[in-house]
Amino acid sequence: MGFELQGLGLAHANGTVALADIRLAARQGENIALIGPSGAGKTSLLSVLGTAWSGQPGLQGAVRVLDSELSALHARALRHLRARIGTVHQAPPLPGRQRVVTSVLAGRLGQWPAWKSLASLAYPADITGARAALARVELEDKLFARCDQLSGGQLQRAGIARVLYQQAALVLADEPVSALDPALALATVRLLVADAAQRGATLVASLHAVDLALGCFARIVGIKAGRIAFDLPADQVSEAQLQALYAGEGQQLPTLLPARAAAVPMNACR
Amino acid sequence: MPLKPAQRDPASRARLAHALLALCILWPLFEAAQVRPGALFEAGNLTVIGNFLAAFLPPATGSEFLGYLGQATLQTLAIATAGMMLACLLAVPLAYLVSAAGRDRPTLNPLARSLLTVLRGIPELVWALVFVRVFGLGPAAGVLALGLTYGGMLAKVYAEILESTDPAPARALRHSGARRPLAILYGLVPQAAKELVSYTVYRWECAIRASVVMGFVGAGGLGQLMDQSMKMLNGGEAASILLTFLLLVFAADALSNALRRALDAAPTAQPSPWGWRSGTAAVALALAVWASFRLLDMDLPALFSHESAASMGQFVASFFPMDLSAEWLRRVAVGTWETLAISVVGTLLAAVLGLVLALAPLRPVSHLLLNLLRSVPELVWATITALAVGLGPFAGALALALHTSGVLGRLYAQALDNAPRAPASALALSGAGQGLAFLYGTLPGAGPQLIAYTLYRWEMNIRMAAILGFVGAGGLGQLLYFELSLFHYSQAATVIVAMLALSIGVDQASAWLRRRMG
Repeated sequence: MGFELQGLGLAHANGTVALADIRLAARQGENIALIGPSGAGKTSLLSVLGTAWSGQPGLQGAVRVLDSELSALHARALRHLRARIGTVHQAPPLPGRQRVVTSVLAGRLGQWPAWKSLASLAYPADITGARAALARVELEDKLFARCDQLSGGQLQRAGIARVLYQQAALVLADEPVSALDPALALATVRLLVADAAQRGATLVASLHAVDLALGCFARIVGIKAGRIAFDLPADQVSEAQLQALYAGEGQQLPTLLPARAAAVPMNACR
Repeated sequence: MPLKPAQRDPASRARLAHALLALCILWPLFEAAQVRPGALFEAGNLTVIGNFLAAFLPPATGSEFLGYLGQATLQTLAIATAGMMLACLLAVPLAYLVSAAGRDRPTLNPLARSLLTVLRGIPELVWALVFVRVFGLGPAAGVLALGLTYGGMLAKVYAEILESTDPAPARALRHSGARRPLAILYGLVPQAAKELVSYTVYRWECAIRASVVMGFVGAGGLGQLMDQSMKMLNGGEAASILLTFLLLVFAADALSNALRRALDAAPTAQPSPWGWRSGTAAVALALAVWASFRLLDMDLPALFSHESAASMGQFVASFFPMDLSAEWLRRVAVGTWETLAISVVGTLLAAVLGLVLALAPLRPVSHLLLNLLRSVPELVWATITALAVGLGPFAGALALALHTSGVLGRLYAQALDNAPRAPASALALSGAGQGLAFLYGTLPGAGPQLIAYTLYRWEMNIRMAAILGFVGAGGLGQLLYFELSLFHYSQAATVIVAMLALSIGVDQASAWLRRRMG
């Protein structure tokens, strides 16, 4: 099982309700795109799946991730679970003064024994692996550069390379291509989908661009005001549902490519 | 294992070279500092220090002693305040001369600059020791010593603050015909006022600590009382003095925090710049300075009289010519090396201990511990560590480490709090343990700040290491104390010059390292 959420609610410390009454489940190996206007709760939902809220007071309902009931986990078991969850963060959390190779290798800190992680600070433990991961996002030449020498788009791809290197069973991606140009964005989302499919991993990505979501993902979950608006296979999502989801966001749906130009074709990833 | 060039880390060779170089430099320094951690845990030493600390309890509370204690506390406060007053009087014109602020092109002003270097480079305790010879025992020596060293430090920092503020307003004023002093007053000071005041208050806090230390060479105040109690092995009295001192440092800390916060308050809309707050502060300041000079009863005019000028001149002349014989130079060189070793080992140990305390999970407890470590001056720690590991450089390094770890721990904690959190929390979410998340996520961001703080502290510690010898911790201080008590002034002069050269050298080395690692 990928994950299962039942009656999930999330309230922040100041009382704002981020998520309410969420019921969502995924089989292992499924790929899901979360879409919806900004502030709808996509990031919150991903952070719940990423176990960021385990043990926090604001969380309600039952959360099962990768066959583990979150509330029943002790610290050690939680760490083991987290090592199997990879997250592509919206702002790449890579320290500027760290070298790209170290940042990518840090993806496996949860899997490596402590001595190996420590030794890797002095001499990178798996240069070949890091290079291979970076090659998949076309950053091979930046292997030994420092993160603060990368552009915003390069940094985002380095963050993706870290998650690819982690080889997680559940991959969560929060706006993974927001800093990339359309062509690169499409290629990168394709890469994430293909990588998950090849390893049988579950992939959940929140996306700003509706065409990208519809074109690359099998299942679409629309989120509005902290609730699930619809949960359908990509080919059954209607134009009217999309318009309702983004009502109040202006006239046009947010897309990767400008409307009327060649939109991302349906099944672009398959 | 042989690796293909493509699979080798290109930085590894340089890293290895740097690590070896560091080892080659640090190893002899640790040797010179006679680091023997084992000595800390020898049964004999443990009993000695146990007995010593046991004698601290209960603290002395005799009414006669408490009277002395109150007097000494007031005296310490007065020395610090009067010394700061003097320092400010010295610093403002010097900063004006040295600073490039408000000038069309920066000047070198070699005379004023080298005066600053000399004032700052010679530790206040050495000045105090020298002035005690001229003016006799008492607070006058302490006030003058503080005034000179702190004058030098304040002038340097004032000048740097003025240089780092936005020069555009002052430049505009100068172009419209204002003279430099007015351009600075109207164009730069309003922007820099907060930083200037806040640094001055911080220095006053340091002056309280320093005035206690100077008491050890007979410059009055709590330090002198402490010295007497320690020499008579009266632990109870020493404990009371130490407690008073802790309270004083905490109070100064709180006051300076409150003042700095008050500076943030927005001014009220009224024509006069004087509100009740600034008015009260000005009156309180004037009263404090007046009361300080009154209490110290310093015969200020006499200081500048013909006779004292003559005796001062004679005294200074007796330092020349310096002893430059090969034999003495060799001993000074050994002392210099030992002092360097004490400062490096002390600072490194402090960095490790400070980092551990900054990361300690129990914040309130570690915070109290940090404050405690920080508020006991190095010289007091040295009397305790000397009992624990015997006289010698290791005792000095330990004393330095204990005090500095309190300072660094606090700075480290602030720097780590300010470092970005996202990298470490992202790593924790992908299963990394807390320690590894810190090493891979937080440390790369906070590292340069931590290194800069450590190096700044090393610059201060080299001056402190030079005087720890006064209580038998070896190095240049021990040589100087010895020669001064034998009235061997030409030998002492060589030592003072060596101290000056060492502190200038360390300043340069630290600035270079900060540039390399920043």
